[in-house]
Amino acid sequence: MGEHKEEMRDVTFRVLRFNPQVDNKPYFDDYTIPVEKGITVLRALNYIKEQVDPTVSFRAFCQAGICGSCGMRINGISKLACTTQVWDELEKCKVPDVIKVEPLRNMPHIKDLIVDMDPMVDKMKKYSNWVESTMPESKMGEKEFLISEEEFKEYDKSTDCILCASCMSECSILRANKEYVAPAILLKSHRMNVDSRDGIHDKRMAELVKDHGVWDCTHCYRCQETCVKSIPIMDAIHGIREEAIAERGVRDTSGARHAEAFMEDIAKKGKLVEATLPVRTNGLGWTLKNLLPMAFKMVMKRRTPPPPPLVKASKGIRKFREEFNEMTSRVKREQKDHKK
Amino acid sequence: MKRYAYYLSCINEAMTKEVDRSLELWQHDLGLEFVRMHESVCCGGSNLDYVSPKHFALVNARNIAYAEKLGLDLVTSCNTCLLTIRSAKKRLDESPELRDEVNAILKKEGLEYKGTSEVRHLLWVLVEDVGLDEIRSKVKVPLENYSIAPFYGCHILRPSTVLGKDNPLEPSSLDQLIEALGGRTIDYDHKNKCCGFHTLLVAEEESLNVAAEALEEAIERKADFIVTPCPLCHTVLDGYQSKALKQASVTASIPVFHLSEMVGLALGYTPRQLGIKRHIVT
Repeated sequence: MGEHKEEMRDVTFRVLRFNPQVDNKPYFDDYTIPVEKGITVLRALNYIKEQVDPTVSFRAFCQAGICGSCGMRINGISKLACTTQVWDELEKCKVPDVIKVEPLRNMPHIKDLIVDMDPMVDKMKKYSNWVESTMPESKMGEKEFLISEEEFKEYDKSTDCILCASCMSECSILRANKEYVAPAILLKSHRMNVDSRDGIHDKRMAELVKDHGVWDCTHCYRCQETCVKSIPIMDAIHGIREEAIAERGVRDTSGARHAEAFMEDIAKKGKLVEATLPVRTNGLGWTLKNLLPMAFKMVMKRRTPPPPPLVKASKGIRKFREEFNEMTSRVKREQKDHKK
Repeated sequence: MKRYAYYLSCINEAMTKEVDRSLELWQHDLGLEFVRMHESVCCGGSNLDYVSPKHFALVNARNIAYAEKLGLDLVTSCNTCLLTIRSAKKRLDESPELRDEVNAILKKEGLEYKGTSEVRHLLWVLVEDVGLDEIRSKVKVPLENYSIAPFYGCHILRPSTVLGKDNPLEPSSLDQLIEALGGRTIDYDHKNKCCGFHTLLVAEEESLNVAAEALEEAIERKADFIVTPCPLCHTVLDGYQSKALKQASVTASIPVFHLSEMVGLALGYTPRQLGIKRHIVT
């Protein structure tokens, strides 16, 4: 094969089509076009729209990975069409030389590759994704807010988010329940929470710990893995949880109680006491209602976790407990110093 | 004989005992010896790190330090233990202050975290250390009649910054192992997706929706069984299967095997020996 042949290739774009005014359900149209190496998926889509089929609809603007408009699923993964090279995608095709292009998931489908972004904006409002200044309006302009470098580092990466919604499209829990807060919103919430200029931290946090909030994340890390800006989104989610426990204690939500149970058990036995985890997380009523039918099957199969007295502590537990407690006093000392 | 410090996961000690039981049956067949670390303490199960990051570091520095004391790599059969202990190791290796702080405490029992032992999954040991050719040569009962749906689970793939063996978007190690054992692997969308385990007690309905989607696709693709390297995924996909599928109005069912059971089957052990009868779906 000659070298120039590699620079130009016929590639098929299998594009999901759907016009709710005429179509009962979505279908795929294949567009085979000559593509030069170095071309992005967005440029290929523009070519299709201009030269082949003007009815193909998608959203795009800056063509430089800044505006976040052209989020879509390319070969099954949510990403920006404008920063995705056709040549890179050719290696990932399930059918050779056929690149599948679909709209983002988990948001209402409007047409072809376009989804409705309003639910994201609505959630940003619900979770107060902005800074409300601690400074009264009348004092504004008289004094500046100084932000330490240390503080800035806390949200430096989060500010890279361009709200492209790729993380929302990949989120396991949002797929299971559209009411879920969603990763982009948690990222923004944490960014605002750790901002020292912000005065509505408690209000935001109170919303975040409710149902469909921060405790519903199932730690699948798909948001983080597909983030087009490589933002460690899970750090923000863990950050909110850490703050929630430190500030609100562990009693007010099942997620916090669940997390705290690990700490208790490790301190006591070095092992998780699984048998009582459901009761400690959700109370006795919930456990009986939700787990009793299963518990019966599990007993029949001898799969039930042992009752607490029978959970054997780890070897060397006495020394371990001393170490664990020493860390506890150190942490307490640190917190005291910090408050001073 | 290749030796490893075997980390005892809480779930394999309590609910999914068949994982370690199968592993013990066949370890020597593949020239492996897993030295059980009875000093293992719970890794914190992707919870302790935000309850108390300092305790999280201490607990896992200790776990790894025991492996280091033996001069062996730490190996686990649980994805979440893998991610959790590797995350702690990353923090310890990147922060001399944190290392000094936990070592000042660990000194009490004559331990020191140095960072010399790797933290690895059983699947990685099989593919990298034993090798697929060697495994192929040891197979007694090829799984040739089975179409097998690999279910990797999240915490052996993501975040790739902490794990980084398989391509998280297109993992292949478990597929390769299935083929080496003579089975046919099924390519399906959910193989690298989530089982929903970590929110089972907090958002059960959502968790079961997540699990049902994966189970449904494996059933649709006509897999004979699902195999997973993670006992937590197994707990949802097997233990909660009927509940999840009922919620999704699906009437079929599908068995789910642990990695160590699948290897045991191909090495000639019986389902009874391997504890497969203990599963909820059989």
